Amino acid sequence: MKNHFRQLLAGPYIVWMIGFTVIPLLLIVFYGLTDKSGAFTLANVTSIATPEHMKALGLSLGLSLISTAICLLIAYPLAMILRRRGIGHSSFMVFIFILPMWMNFLLRTLAWQTLLEKNGVINGILGFLHLPELAVINTPAAIVLGMVYNFLPFMILPVYNVLEKIDDNTVNAARDLGAGELQTLLYVWFPLSVPGIISGITMVFVPALTTFVISNLLGGSKILLIGNVIEQEFTKGSNWNLGSGLSLVLMLFILLSMALIAKYDKDGEGTAL
Amino acid sequence: MKRYRLKQFFQDFYLVLVILFLYAPIVTMIVLSFNDTKSRTLWGGFTLRWYADMLQDTAIMNALHNTLLIALLSALAATVIGTAAAIGINSMKKLPRSIVMGVNNIPMLNSDIVTGISLMLAFIAFGISLGFKTVLIAHITFNVPYVLLSVLPKLRQTSRYTYEAALDLGAGPLQAFFKVVFPDILPGVLSGFLMAFTMSLDDFIITHFTRGAGIDTLSTLIYSEVRRGINPSMYALSAIIFLTVLALLILTNFSPEEKKGKTAAGIEAAARKRRRFARIRGGILAAASFSIFAVVSLSTWNRYAASHSDELYVYNWGEYIDESVITQFEEETGIHVTYDLFETNEEMYPVIEAGAVRYDAVCPSDYMIQRMAENGLLAEINFDNLPNLKHIDPVYLEMSREFDPENRYSVPYTWGTVGILYNTKLIEEKNLPVPRRWSDLWNPAYAGEILMQDSVRDAFMVALKSLGYSMNTEDMRELTEARDLLIAQKPLVQAYVIDQVRDKMIGGEAALGVIYSGEMLYLQEEVASQNLDFTLEYVIPEEGTNLWIDSWVIPANARNKENAEKWIDFLCRPDIALKNFEYITYATPNRAAKALLDESLQNNKAIFPDMESLAQSEVYRYLGDETDAVYNSLWKEVKSR
Repeated sequence: MKNHFRQLLAGPYIVWMIGFTVIPLLLIVFYGLTDKSGAFTLANVTSIATPEHMKALGLSLGLSLISTAICLLIAYPLAMILRRRGIGHSSFMVFIFILPMWMNFLLRTLAWQTLLEKNGVINGILGFLHLPELAVINTPAAIVLGMVYNFLPFMILPVYNVLEKIDDNTVNAARDLGAGELQTLLYVWFPLSVPGIISGITMVFVPALTTFVISNLLGGSKILLIGNVIEQEFTKGSNWNLGSGLSLVLMLFILLSMALIAKYDKDGEGTAL
Repeated sequence: MKRYRLKQFFQDFYLVLVILFLYAPIVTMIVLSFNDTKSRTLWGGFTLRWYADMLQDTAIMNALHNTLLIALLSALAATVIGTAAAIGINSMKKLPRSIVMGVNNIPMLNSDIVTGISLMLAFIAFGISLGFKTVLIAHITFNVPYVLLSVLPKLRQTSRYTYEAALDLGAGPLQAFFKVVFPDILPGVLSGFLMAFTMSLDDFIITHFTRGAGIDTLSTLIYSEVRRGINPSMYALSAIIFLTVLALLILTNFSPEEKKGKTAAGIEAAARKRRRFARIRGGILAAASFSIFAVVSLSTWNRYAASHSDELYVYNWGEYIDESVITQFEEETGIHVTYDLFETNEEMYPVIEAGAVRYDAVCPSDYMIQRMAENGLLAEINFDNLPNLKHIDPVYLEMSREFDPENRYSVPYTWGTVGILYNTKLIEEKNLPVPRRWSDLWNPAYAGEILMQDSVRDAFMVALKSLGYSMNTEDMRELTEARDLLIAQKPLVQAYVIDQVRDKMIGGEAALGVIYSGEMLYLQEEVASQNLDFTLEYVIPEEGTNLWIDSWVIPANARNKENAEKWIDFLCRPDIALKNFEYITYATPNRAAKALLDESLQNNKAIFPDMESLAQSEVYRYLGDETDAVYNSLWKEVKSR
């Protein structure tokens, strides 16, 4: 009885979700599967197979995979160091990594443009030291850098969260039983932190896969990612059906990520920041 | 021991390295906020003027207000909805719980672009006009999941027995909840709130798709500025926000070190100190949240206190008017103007077509006016209400017939050409030829020095004209030839840009840029005022170019047509047209205003070219949706190569 009353508390949110999450998604499905006259078609979805779209999708997949891997490589040792130090004011350290988000996302990315440009800050410093110039701007490397920079906090936090919860006694037990540094890492730390790693991976991979701002600002609009294609269909090409159809394809990858999360992170602990 | 030290050192080094990486752009931005030039690459000396300007800038202040208000309201609403939902979900059975959690995860895992677009489609389908409330709804939608995910784990840790014990001891359910459960989950609720607030503050993409007329958050304002060059006051504002948060954070986290004092008195003193500090800390936090709240509610009150009966919704290009003209119009007519910006014709069109925001006066270009008229989106202007039309040189009305055959829908505002802007010093240094023709943009000597326009028609115009074809061609053979030419050019191109060409040319990033004639004067003035060691020259290529007109039109679904006519007439007044010319530096079709200019400006052939020299040039025509689609897909092939 009381349980029923408590369940009712979820009511407003369920209504909200139906109105603003479920119905809008159904609308995308509707637009994606119809043409301009409203007749059913699969052309919007299958157009992903055209060479331009395939190339954009492949490039997006490649760059976001690389970025995700780099994020993990940077974040895991960092989280380990923080955890081992047992940094007391954990909240403060967490804040250090959220803090950049208070500076506007676009401005942060634009600042990288300033740093990387041909006559930018980094080349200014290199030139002063008589070192060769860096030609990174407007290349895929610059996009990867932008992705890593913007999404790194999304990897650090979940990984740190799971590492923090690992009991010292577990680690000590392994050491007592004769496990070396590497063995503890491989057989204790790593397996126990899988949920955090998985949610970190999805939280970096999905926004990186679909970004259009980073590729515009740091890629000089020379490199077309799938996010750019979709954005342009909505804002410039005014073909909402095609844009929706391609969004549907993207959602496939997102569903995959959700399945991954559901498999490894049952309690949603890793995602809780 | 020594090995341990070394390890410690490497760990510290690594931490510092990551923090350096995270904070390098932020430091850059703070430095730029004190830079005396508008350029992002040149240091012009220390100044505080951007901070002073920021306080005067109504666009920035409004955007700040909106950003804070939306972040605050959406985080509050999300916290209430999310906490309630968490309690409900926590007592659900497994199956319904996983369904709800699955849907809950969607906005968090879905890409922002899909979430934003789906919400936009829904608002339009429901007939909710885009504006403040749609942005708020969108932000609440993506904020609740964060609250839910930080409250749920805390809720799971609380023991239900304590709650039941409270009930047994005679507490009511509400009382038991607030006295027993709530204190336990409070940290989760607070961090959820903070997370929601941060996410809302930082969001751009979802706001971009769900906002309506006159609603700008800091993100959308910055995005529209990115292409034109950022107003450094933006850096100043960001620096202030960032430093405030940093200061708050340090204050709240800095508690006196726990001295390992052995004496009871020492411990007692330390505890006292800690308590006092906790009080101070609480006080600071409370004061900070109170002041945010006070500022926001005060400015909201101000806004609603000044409500207007007479409205006008204007939709114009960015930086395409002297802002004082708007104020002057409001003062003289008593009409309140809501002023909104677009960046490309193609972006403007679906907004007008969907009617989600009903604008009264819009300023598109030639071919887009034709498209809007042909699709019934425009209202005929009542020229009896435009006595000042007589100041517009009939030459331009004649030219307008290309896209508005009977001069019924449009009133010319600016006009010009597209040409090549080149950096004289870079050209000389690298021993490059001075560009004269479009085909020069295919000269391998210019590799990496070319900035092309990032828009379909302009890019194809360059290729088609260099091949000697019409830029309004529908011939597939000519178009594929142009496409192949553009693909061949791509390795030579440094970047495809729209308004960013200004910043990059001033910064000396590239030797050549395809640019609109109106930008030239502004750029030359900017180069002169910054005492740079080069000059920028403009050339109209010999093969002929795009002759364009931007004109004011009134959409068919306008609600305040007469006010729109008053607005257009006001802009045709010579003194107003002069003011606008001096600000936007695009050629004016207003002959009375032109007569008021300096001789040298009137005779500047780059701004006001002779009509005879433009014999080869054309005005864009609207080619129909199908041909448009062909252009778009060919362009996509170029871009994806």
